[in-house]
Amino acid sequence: MASPDEALKPGTRFRTRNGRREGEVGTVLGAGGQGAVYLARMGGGEFALKWYHDYYVDLDTGLFARLSSAVKRGAPDNRFLWPLDLVDIEGQRSFGYLMPLRDAAYAGMRDLIAPPPQRLELDLPQRLLACEHIAQCFLELHAAGFCYQDINFGNIFLHPQTADVLICDNDNVNIDGADASIYGTRKFMAPEVVRRETLPCTKTDLFSMAVMFFYVSFAWHPLDGRRELEIKLLDAAAEERLYGTEPVFIFDTVNTANGLLSPMHDAIANRWHSLNSELRALFDRSFTVGLFTPGRRVHEYEWRSAFASARRAVSSCAACGYQYVYEPDAESADCARCAASLSPPAALRVGRRVITLPAGRGVTVADIDERQSSERIVGEVQAHPSKPQILGLANRTEAPWRVEIPGYSAAAIPPGKTVRLLHGTAIAIGDRHLTVSNPQDVPS
Amino acid sequence: MNDRPVTPALDAALLSRRQLHVVLALDCSGSMRGERIASLNYAIRSAIPELQAVAADNPEVRVLVRVLRFGTVARWHIEEPCPVEELEWEDLQAGGETAMGSALRLVGEALDPARLEGRQLPPVIVLASDGYPTDDIDRAMADFFSHETVAKATRIAIAIGSNTDLETLERFIDAPEGRLKPLRANNAPDLVKSIKWATTAPVKATSSPTNAPDNASALAAESTRVLEPDSSVVW
Repeated sequence: MASPDEALKPGTRFRTRNGRREGEVGTVLGAGGQGAVYLARMGGGEFALKWYHDYYVDLDTGLFARLSSAVKRGAPDNRFLWPLDLVDIEGQRSFGYLMPLRDAAYAGMRDLIAPPPQRLELDLPQRLLACEHIAQCFLELHAAGFCYQDINFGNIFLHPQTADVLICDNDNVNIDGADASIYGTRKFMAPEVVRRETLPCTKTDLFSMAVMFFYVSFAWHPLDGRRELEIKLLDAAAEERLYGTEPVFIFDTVNTANGLLSPMHDAIANRWHSLNSELRALFDRSFTVGLFTPGRRVHEYEWRSAFASARRAVSSCAACGYQYVYEPDAESADCARCAASLSPPAALRVGRRVITLPAGRGVTVADIDERQSSERIVGEVQAHPSKPQILGLANRTEAPWRVEIPGYSAAAIPPGKTVRLLHGTAIAIGDRHLTVSNPQDVPS
Repeated sequence: MNDRPVTPALDAALLSRRQLHVVLALDCSGSMRGERIASLNYAIRSAIPELQAVAADNPEVRVLVRVLRFGTVARWHIEEPCPVEELEWEDLQAGGETAMGSALRLVGEALDPARLEGRQLPPVIVLASDGYPTDDIDRAMADFFSHETVAKATRIAIAIGSNTDLETLERFIDAPEGRLKPLRANNAPDLVKSIKWATTAPVKATSSPTNAPDNASALAAESTRVLEPDSSVVW
């Protein structure tokens, strides 16, 4: 707890340690156990200033060195609200750091599991896209030799429209392998950290990140199944068993002791069956073998690629609207929620990727070329002007496409023209070779 | 994006959020009359928004609050577990003796596993008193601890003023040597800080990062920073 005289008064002057610039403290934006965050003005710009309690600076002896090295290294990616410079205030024993101010449009990740009306409702493609962004952020951080130590709901923020993410609270970030300053947050810690056998490192970050992905996808914890439901009073010993010494994945097919119960967990089971086999396999590895073998945990690039594919292949049940990841080769073709038979949607296949094509969808450069990130539209799904049940793909590039429609001779589709999405049609856009999958519209 | 976005319907699962019961047992004996009870009422009123905020930080947990007052008799001030977001404070009045034993008995009975529906985290019991129990505290204490939920609860005691039965408050906390001690609120600002900390810290612990080996020692360490040392001790 801060004593009143530790709180900074608005108008207090501060000085940055490296830049030797002066600024002014504004209003309090938030307070926590380690210190408080203030609005700060410097050189006409607005920043956030985290200022530590005196006791915390004494307690966390590695803090100063960690922050200094973070400032020196710079943010791995602009989605990290990274320490920009250390800050001193005359007459104060403690210190702080400046970071970029968080855009108010971003919501806390925990809103995804908040009870209504606070709950953040996202559709499936947005959830998967948010996960892809998180994977990308931690890939950059880990590649730079840092570990985060404390991935949890409190320090990742999400843009409700774009699914962009921001990573905050980077003051525990440390060089991987150095002594950690924190164990982590309840339910996000890796089992070996719950057991206090090890301190956080990159491998435990991978576990916490997988828990986060599970929460974003399911709004549920991967180890909270039958056993959690049957524990009436979750005391410290029970908690250590569930998340530390005897963790069992709710979808573990070998050890089903912690499986789901119907009807309480039906929504979670439905979500599981609505994902594709690639994502299910990654979750399965994370929470079966990955529970006890940190070296087998799923890496960020595996997640990133799986989420990038899955979010492009989302379709929805014509009967109930429930969204699912379409897999052309999947065995079951029934809706996970209402059990209606699912008609295969129109889709493009490029390499291993599947891009579903509901009317109106814009197909981008990044969709058809996984080496690129450009969101420039190359094609647009359009209904036939007089036969709306027939879908086609309009050429929105500036060059003609070469197409081969089964039963017809090869043709060129000039910019602005549309080719019908007939099953088996081959489309070449630049050097990308796409195939149309549309069993609903087979050439006669 | 699809034209009919449907989010996962997870209400079924969310309906069964784990509960965290917070029970306040507050001394309303005659010696609390005047400024003390006013200050206690103020402390609780000012702690409520913070408690609501920390509860919102952990949407997986449903925080339910009950309040018991004890004077000549112990009775519930808020008897039905109240969802923290709906909590409103009606001022307590002081008068009478210090029926702390009856108070603990009522708290124990209310938290008996057989009377709690749903799944719980270990509850939080906060006992604030400014005096010595006037009823049979020894038997009441034994009964109190016979309830599993009580034995596993986070128990925090606040000693209001200097004429308090610290030994009884320590027995209530029942922490190993060197662990959590009663908070000693010798003035109104300290009472506000103590009440605020006692109600919010254990709730916050369910969703905040930790650098302590376990929850109990984290709370114990934090409790030592709630109140500034008396100027007669550190100057």
